[in-house]
Amino acid sequence: MSEPIDKLSVPALVAEIKHGDTVAMGEIVKRYSNKVYNLAFHLTRDASAAEEIMQEVFLTVISKIHTLTNEAYFATWLYRVTTNAAYGFLRKEKKFAEQTSVDDMNHEQSVTYDWSTLPDDVLLSEESRAMLRDSIDTLPDTMRTVVIMKDVEGLKNEDIAQALGLSVPAVKSRLHRGRLILREILSDYFRKYSDPSGEGK
Amino acid sequence: MNCRICSKLLQEYLENTISEELINDLNRHLQDCERCRIFFKTYSLTITLSRKVETPCCVSPEKIEHLTSLLYERLFSK
Repeated sequence: MSEPIDKLSVPALVAEIKHGDTVAMGEIVKRYSNKVYNLAFHLTRDASAAEEIMQEVFLTVISKIHTLTNEAYFATWLYRVTTNAAYGFLRKEKKFAEQTSVDDMNHEQSVTYDWSTLPDDVLLSEESRAMLRDSIDTLPDTMRTVVIMKDVEGLKNEDIAQALGLSVPAVKSRLHRGRLILREILSDYFRKYSDPSGEGK
Repeated sequence: MNCRICSKLLQEYLENTISEELINDLNRHLQDCERCRIFFKTYSLTITLSRKVETPCCVSPEKIEHLTSLLYERLFSK
């Protein structure tokens, strides 16, 4: 390798690992361990499970790295293995909630209260962030995973689709429905600030 | 443009994947329809707030090193 290890692209690192380069493996672990841990933690809400999953995921992908025919798909493969491991943990823990149908949800039925004008100290308070985090946890699983991957972790629709084995339109649809639910919850939560008496609803 | 179409286009609008003509139609509708305007603003803000949801603490350098050693022992040292 002529380039420094930290400047190498992911496909180049993966190619090096296939040739038995353990330095390249260390670099991949360094680049992706936080991403894998965060995704696993967001999906399981369990720090020790997230750590175990992170270990299991890297053991799986590095041991099977030769099966990856297109090195460019390493990250989406990694995310897929991570979500599968997290689902496995949740199944074991029986936290796998039954899916709730929200197909008939319609934002036009919701009451309109413009909480977007609230000051940042209210919108970004510790309490409101904790409430939103808990609300994401209560989303039906198919939506929760997509919302976490897209809106919390900032992945692209195409990468999420690849990782979860979904079409891009399916990702968008789940994302939209998840966001609609969260918006409703936030609207209810922030409504207490709409009461001029300050007494809430 | 009506409210239902407006709500369906919102996601594409935020991802910047609709034509300029549709964007102009949407903006005209948003100017006239307070309900959609509020919906649009609160929907966008929901995304912004989700981005601020606490990310778990970083994996420590020690844990990264431990993981790397474990991978080396299990997969590379024969």
